[in-house]
Order: sequence, then C-alpha cells, then structure tokens
Amino acid sequence: MILSGVKVIEFAGLAPGPFAGMVLADYGADVIVIERTQSAMPRPPSLARGKRSIMLNLKDKEGIKVANRLCENADVLIEPFRPGVMEKFGLGPDELLKNNPKLIYARMTGFGQSGSYSKMAGHDINYLGMTGLLSKLGREGGKPTAPLNLMADFAGGGLMCAMGVILALLERTKSGRGQVIDASMVDGASYIGSWIYQTKDAPYLWPIGDELGKNLLDTGSPFYDTYQTKDNKFMAVGAIEPQFYQQLINGLGLTDEDVPGQVDLDKWPETKKIFADVFRSKTQSEWCKVFDGVDACVTPVLTLEGAAQHSHNQTRKTFLTNEDGDAEPRPAPLLLRTPGVNYVKPNPVTGQHTEVVLKEVGYSQSEIDELIKNEVVKSETVKSML
Amino acid sequence: MALTGIRVVEIAGLAPAPMAGMILSDFGANVIRIDRTKQTETVDRLARGKRSIAVDLKSKEGANVVKRLSSNSDVLIEPYRPGVMERLGLGPDILMKDNPALVYARLSGFGQSGPYKGVAGHDINYLATSGVLSTLGKYKENPIAPINLVADFAGGGTLCSLGVLMALFNRTKTGKGQIVDVSMTEGAAYVASWLWRSQNLQLCWPTKIRGRNLLDTGAPFYNTYETQDGKYMAVGAIEPQFYALLLKGLGLTEENMPGPQIDIRKWPEMQKLFSDVFAKKTQAEWIELFGDSDACVSPILTLEGAATDVHNEARGSFMRNENGSYEPRPAPLLSETPGITEVKSDPNIGEHTEEVLQEFGYSKDEIDHLIKNDIVEKL
Repeated sequence: MILSGVKVIEFAGLAPGPFAGMVLADYGADVIVIERTQSAMPRPPSLARGKRSIMLNLKDKEGIKVANRLCENADVLIEPFRPGVMEKFGLGPDELLKNNPKLIYARMTGFGQSGSYSKMAGHDINYLGMTGLLSKLGREGGKPTAPLNLMADFAGGGLMCAMGVILALLERTKSGRGQVIDASMVDGASYIGSWIYQTKDAPYLWPIGDELGKNLLDTGSPFYDTYQTKDNKFMAVGAIEPQFYQQLINGLGLTDEDVPGQVDLDKWPETKKIFADVFRSKTQSEWCKVFDGVDACVTPVLTLEGAAQHSHNQTRKTFLTNEDGDAEPRPAPLLLRTPGVNYVKPNPVTGQHTEVVLKEVGYSQSEIDELIKNEVVKSETVKSML
Repeated sequence: MALTGIRVVEIAGLAPAPMAGMILSDFGANVIRIDRTKQTETVDRLARGKRSIAVDLKSKEGANVVKRLSSNSDVLIEPYRPGVMERLGLGPDILMKDNPALVYARLSGFGQSGPYKGVAGHDINYLATSGVLSTLGKYKENPIAPINLVADFAGGGTLCSLGVLMALFNRTKTGKGQIVDVSMTEGAAYVASWLWRSQNLQLCWPTKIRGRNLLDTGAPFYNTYETQDGKYMAVGAIEPQFYALLLKGLGLTEENMPGPQIDIRKWPEMQKLFSDVFAKKTQAEWIELFGDSDACVSPILTLEGAATDVHNEARGSFMRNENGSYEPRPAPLLSETPGITEVKSDPNIGEHTEEVLQEFGYSKDEIDHLIKNDIVEKL
C-alpha cells in the first residue's frame, strides 16, 4: 500500500490527531498509539481502526526513554498537546529531530504553536469561530451554527495534518530530511474555506452578505436548501444553474407562472414557501422516483444508515462493514492502483501491543518485564481481558 | 518548496478542482490551468499563482495540445462528468499510455461509477447522499449544509490534493502514476468518519434526534450565543473543569443551574439561561472577561475580523492580496518547506498561452499556427 513501511507514532488525543493517524493507517502506515498509563479520560476508541496500542507512563523517566526509542526509528510523529507539553516531557522536536533528522514531527492543535491563544483550551466551535467562517453558517433569524465538529476537528484538523504529513514524506524523498508540521485547526479550517474569503464580495453569491441565511448558498435561496417531505424526511435541492432550476420546477409540477423568477431575491422567501408546500405533498421515495436520474440537482437527504444502504453508495462500496455489522466510510479518495483498506481492521485494546512493539525496537523480554513491573509501561493482552 | 518541479495540468472547473490546483500551487507546483477559448472571465477564485492557457478542447488539434502538455506533466486534474474526457480523446487510457507516470485525478460529485454517476449535482446533493447532511442543523429545523465547505472543499478539493500527493509519493517508489477517483460524496463521508464510528457513545449522541446531542447545538455548553451588540461568542466547554470556568465567567454557580452539566432534559432551560447572560455584555467585554482562561469561550469573528485578530496576525494566518483583501495562508505550516507566504496574482485567461507552449517545446511556427486557427487563444 502507499504508506507500507511508514512508521507513525501517534500520541493519543481526542479526535483530530487520531483522525490524521487513521488516514495514514488506512493507506498502509504502521500506526502505533502511545496511550498514557494514568490518563484521566479513557480514550473512546472511535478512530483507532488498524492501529496498534502501547501504554506508557510519560511521567516516568523510564517511560520517556521508551518513547524516545520508539521515535528514533519512526518516520512520523503526531502529537496533540498544548505547545510546550512535549518539550516538558523531553520529547520536543529539537531533541527528537536531532536523534532522527528524518522524523516528520506533526503538532496538531487548535490555535497553533504560536500566538496569544496558543496556550488556551478550546474545541472545534472555538477554532471555527476564529476563522470567520462560523459567522457565515446558519439560518436566517438564527445564530451561527457550527456543523458539528467537522470543519475544524476533522477537515481543517486531522485531514490537513495528514496532508501535511504526506507533503513532508514526499519532500523527504528529495531531501532525506524530516521537519516540523505546525497544524493549527484555525489555519486549516480557514484554508479549506479559502473560496469563501475570495468570493465574499461577489454580489450573486452574497447579496446580503452581512446577514445570515439570506444568500445564495447559505439557505437564503429557495433552490439551494433542504425541504421536508410528507414522511418527515428531507430532500436536498442544489439547482443553481438555470437549466437545472427548470428541471426542478418541472419535477415539482410547477410552471414559470406559478413561481417568481429564480433570481428575484426579494421573492425568495415566497418561492421557498411554495417549494416547501409542494415538497410536503409527497414522501421522500416518491420524490426520488420523480427526480432520480434527472438533472435537477434534487437528491434525498440520507441518514447515516440510509447512506450505507443507498444503491449508488453500495455500487461504489462507499461504506465498509465492521465486525459489529455497522457501516463506516471507506477511505477516500480511491487510488485505483494502490487504494486504502477495503475492510475494517479492528480497534486495538488499549495496551494490546505494548510487548510486541517494544520487542520490535529491540527490548528483551526481561527488560520488558522490568518495565511492566515498575509501571513504566502497561500491557493489556486480549487474553487478560477474558 | 515541497512540490517544486511538479507540473500540474488543471482542466478549469468550478470550485473543487481549482481548490486542488491551488493547494498544489501553494506548495510549489507549477500549475497550468486549461481554460476554454472564447471566454473572457474565469470563475476560478482559487487561481493564485496558476498560469492560464486557453485551448479549444473540442477540436482535435486542441486535444493534441493537452496531450502534449500532459505527456510532460506529473499530474492532471479534471472536473468533468465521467466520460467527458474520454469523449474529448483525453481519457486516462490514452494519456497514461503516453505517460505512465501521470497521476490522473478525476474530481466529481458522485464518482466515476454507480447509478448517480454523471447526474448533475452540487455540494448539498453530495453531502445529502453521503449521510452527513442529515446530522447537521438545529432541532425542528431542516438540515442545513454549511455553505459548500464539506463536500466541495473538504471532501472534494482538499481530499483530491491528498490523493494526488499520496500518488506522487507512491510514484517515487514505483515510477508509476495512477488514477485518483475523487468522489465528493465519499470524501465528505470519509472526513466525517467519526460520525459513524461514534454512534454508540452515549455522551456524544444521547438522542437520535438532530440538534439534541452534544455537538450539534443540543448542549448549552457547546453552542453559540448572541452578545449585547449583536455579535456572537462560541462556547465549547465540554470537559467539567472547563465548564466550571464557563460558569464562573458567566457569574453563575452550580446552584443557579437548573441541573448538572450533563442532564440533557435541562439543556433547553440551561441554554436560555446562558443566552440571557451573554446578552448582557458586548462581545468585547466577554473577550476581556474570559481573557485566556480555559473556559473555551471565544469570539465568533467575521471574515475580515479573523484576518486582523491579534492571534491570527501573530501567526500570519492570513495574507494580503493586491486588492488589499485577505485570504488564508496555506495550511499546514511546514517548518522547512512551507507553502507560499504571499499572494501571487491570478492569471488572466490565456495570459500564459505562448509561454507555456514554448516551455513544452512548441516552435514559434507551431504556436502561430495554433493561434491563427483558434485552437488556442492568447490574452
């Protein structure tokens, strides 16, 4: 696979770091998660598929030595801590890169390694708030609404971090050297939203730019929004271009006389109401029959389970099935010659691979036993859970 | 720079493909955008640092120009519905036979296969088909797509770049290129993988109802609030120690509260209480009051406000362009080989037609012939 042979040491964190690690694991990297032995919050194993887990006591000098040894021969390190924490552990980039100049040291934070907020706690909603993008998301008359934690934690966070790692790996094939990646979720989310900044003064996109939910793509327009169906499901309408809008009108059984003009902004609320009434007259599957295969840009809003069962997604194998029988998205994008995983590897039990990983970097069984005895490391084999 | 020496041919498209091209350009690649002839304006707002050559793709000679460019390039990005490139004689079979090292990226909404392939759509449709849209929005309101950020840009353009970079990395070992099939529907789903993988986490998803959960505007301590001056604050105080600091900053105590932090039945009431408190001070006053405390309370900045915020300025998170407005600096920051730190200008359509053709070995006579016959256009 693309990242076969690439060794990643991931210091366990909440969501962004683990997602970056998961992307790398999905494309073949050997990702070892370092979990802390005295962690206050147990890690929910949500993004750990295919990784290996070792438990270390990072507050113990011996534990730091173990971490050092793991990083000596690693290609990539991902850490999610506030700036300065790794340095306090004696695992900062200066030291680790000195020992291993080809190491790619990725630092995944909300606010970045510098700047006045860099030591502050925060979550996705705070980081997104700092980009300016959150101020544009929400319905008319309402308040800014963060789209869960997709934009900062995952898109601008883990995804951007993974991209930086691949960039650095690629660059390293030329230079032979690693480097530090300062992955800030504020920066990442902003960058992904570049187009919003670039187009904010375009009158056709943002006719009432300083108000929420009154513009082309932010639920202001009647032809770019969701509508409720008779059976309390929803359809998504994205009929921007005139030819698609025409198909939308046709499919709704309306004529040009029934509705105000597409670009009659003042009448958008009126048109919306007309569309809403029509959409409520049929069920979601009835609307699908009307619009499937038609170029109206009208598609069902599928639930998480529904998406996995939809015929299009099934044909594309967009979803994999895990051992519990539940669906989860298949790695994207599809590289045809060297794709990512096509099945769901199991989540490791915390500390499941402590011994095998230590052996891989040259520890003897007696050294390992000593480390376990002194609670420098912890080992949880699957057997011991029975 | 990280991608110095990498040549990218970007077939002009709406927004996702330009985003992919821009990311590659920002990190040093030489990106040539192929524009159609007979048009003066481009829709590409992500064009910084690219070069533009205008080619009549419908003509056989125009297709030959693209073939020649791609035979000497590393990456091609195309934004069309499946089959269009093949109809132009520029499908991967042809271009990669000529140049087996080519990374051929195909960026579409529904992917290169499946019943919806080739159906018209936009971000909202891809997001809907991915399942993600159903989780976004407030209680009792319709699902709301966050403009076109998640499918067009995160699951589309950015993921396309990731795929291209992975393919280039693989190529350093194998010498071979490959097709990268980027479906925005899948991309959106993959970026949101956690949604599927966390469904049984009670704390995050106490109900199966949109807008009634931890991170989707259900919780009062993970939400936005209007200030006295019509601005907003973002509150993300999930952990108990941060929640305690939130209450402190709001001048509330546990006793004031209708219930403990995680009593979801009391969430609507708690939200109203927080709303009332936040409405009593201006955004600036709240910023001052919360300072750099760990309450996870921060301002919701406007696009312009973000660019000039003291934290973002210190990080150089935004660059200023020739028009005096701001755009985000490429992320992430690579210490040795960062992306651009200043904004290169957008090309005009056809601005680099001659220059690019010369670079690819066309003689002056050949170029004159192409221009004279409207195969290519120059500015």
